[in-house]
Amino acid sequence: MKSKNAAKIRSLLIRYLLLAVGTVIFTLPMIYMISTSLRPNGALYEYPPRFFPQWEALTIENYDYILHQSKFYLNFLNSVIVSVSTIVLAAVVSSAMAFVLGKFKSRPTKILFGFIIITMIIPGTTMIVPQFELATKLGLVNKLGGLIPFYVAWVIPFSTFMIKGFMENIPNEIMEAAWIDGADVWTVYTRIALPLASPAIASVSIFNFLTAWEEYPWANTVINDNSKRTLPIAIAGFFGQHQFTQWGYVFAMSVLTLIPVVLIFILCQKFFVQGLTAGSVKE
Amino acid sequence: MPAPPSSRERERMVTKSKINKAQIVGLLMPGLLVFGMFTVYPIIRLFWMSLCDMSFSSMLIQPFAGSMNYQEVFRDPTFWTVFVNSVVYTLVTVPGQMALGLFIAILLNGVKRFSVTFRVINYLPVVTSWVIASLVFRYIFNTEGLLNYFLWKILGLTSSNIRWLDSRWSGLSVAMILGVWKGIGWNMVIFLAALQQVPQDLYEAAEIDGCGAWKKFVNVTLPAIRGTLLFALIELTIGGFNVFTSIKMITGGKPAHQTDTLLTWMYYKAFSTGKFGYAAALSFVMALSLGLLAIVQFRMMRNRDA
Repeated sequence: MKSKNAAKIRSLLIRYLLLAVGTVIFTLPMIYMISTSLRPNGALYEYPPRFFPQWEALTIENYDYILHQSKFYLNFLNSVIVSVSTIVLAAVVSSAMAFVLGKFKSRPTKILFGFIIITMIIPGTTMIVPQFELATKLGLVNKLGGLIPFYVAWVIPFSTFMIKGFMENIPNEIMEAAWIDGADVWTVYTRIALPLASPAIASVSIFNFLTAWEEYPWANTVINDNSKRTLPIAIAGFFGQHQFTQWGYVFAMSVLTLIPVVLIFILCQKFFVQGLTAGSVKE
Repeated sequence: MPAPPSSRERERMVTKSKINKAQIVGLLMPGLLVFGMFTVYPIIRLFWMSLCDMSFSSMLIQPFAGSMNYQEVFRDPTFWTVFVNSVVYTLVTVPGQMALGLFIAILLNGVKRFSVTFRVINYLPVVTSWVIASLVFRYIFNTEGLLNYFLWKILGLTSSNIRWLDSRWSGLSVAMILGVWKGIGWNMVIFLAALQQVPQDLYEAAEIDGCGAWKKFVNVTLPAIRGTLLFALIELTIGGFNVFTSIKMITGGKPAHQTDTLLTWMYYKAFSTGKFGYAAALSFVMALSLGLLAIVQFRMMRNRDA
């Protein structure tokens, strides 16, 4: 008995040790990013490089520069506008589609759903050439409006798939009772289906927010104007601007960009895990 | 379980009520319009573009060119270079992040204290945007950067600074390390959820049969989570071929397109040289192959379930 206990404790210790090693590997690059953002810009190519800056050299001059001299607020605002518009529009159109596809099953709706899902196989970036042509024809180049509809279309399959799973679980008895009471489709959707599916919509919206907040290839293609840039392309722009990259500025801006994401992630952890696992564990 | 007559009665009453087709279509319409216009139309257009002689110089006249673009793609040695790069990237990063994600999930499955903390920390790289993570890795792997200093001056493993980003395989390796680092958390979360659904008595039965930890893993755990494993495999394969931002930020395809992948090369051909037809043909080949690959993988998942 005793030796079994000892073995158990030993295995637990090994687990924690390995997890601690993993934690170090996962966090080191992020810590290095933060530490680089806190050292004076002239010391960025200091040799030998230090993982932690010298205590007396710690400075917030990079943040000072980003917050006062760059177009950071504009870029931040652009990112907020694009992300919030994307998640609101995607939630509205996807939940309506998910309601119909999940609750009015027929041959056409099943085929339609299958078709929407199949498009998820195609990597988004492969469509960038015809999408750019379309954006040009519609006069959407160099406008935030050139990002939002493409992002919404992009997240529709995943969002519809996730919310549909939830809609299917709404008991038919509830809906039948509503029909008998004389409710129409629209009323059932807004009064019954939407409130019941709200956890799924919340979870999907977090993912959609991340998608829009971090999207780079399309935004980099459509937006040229500095004042129209979203955060990822603003950061990338900083990186390529001079012959010698101002790493302090790049990473100060990166940290400021990551703060909202990390906050949302930690606060909404539960929805996150729900959303991630809903699609994967289905047997 | 409702009795047959009452169910028929219900049906009658339901049809009498206001389930009208117009409202159903009305609910579908906004989503379908956006999806049709910004996703389906570009897919169709992509196919058409791949069959036309399209470039900056022929923007207005786009003569039908049949398989010309496809021939050009397959005859292009650079295409084969970037194709191999994409395949290697996928073959390394997909099993890499699945194995490590599963390993951490198994570790986490056995601990209670700090389990949530570990999970959150492991997931942080996933929510970090590709642009930022790529720049951090580029900075670390810089020739005068932290890693080289560590290897040379502290560990003494090297005798000079290695130019990681200046040659094909080492440049790609940096992108692959980033890809694995950033993907482990996602795998960990979905595998942990799958592990928690494995019935505990299966393990107990295996233990009675005298199975050790490794045998339990092979005979109980792996079969029990195979659905999730295949789901991850399909998703990650698509993701692997979708690699773009990290290559652009870390090597930019240098030297001489040696580290480009299918999509960064496609992007270069389209937007730097104006060969839209070539880019469309390449994209279409890629979309089609991924579709076929996904169907094969999906079939595997189905057959095993049966």
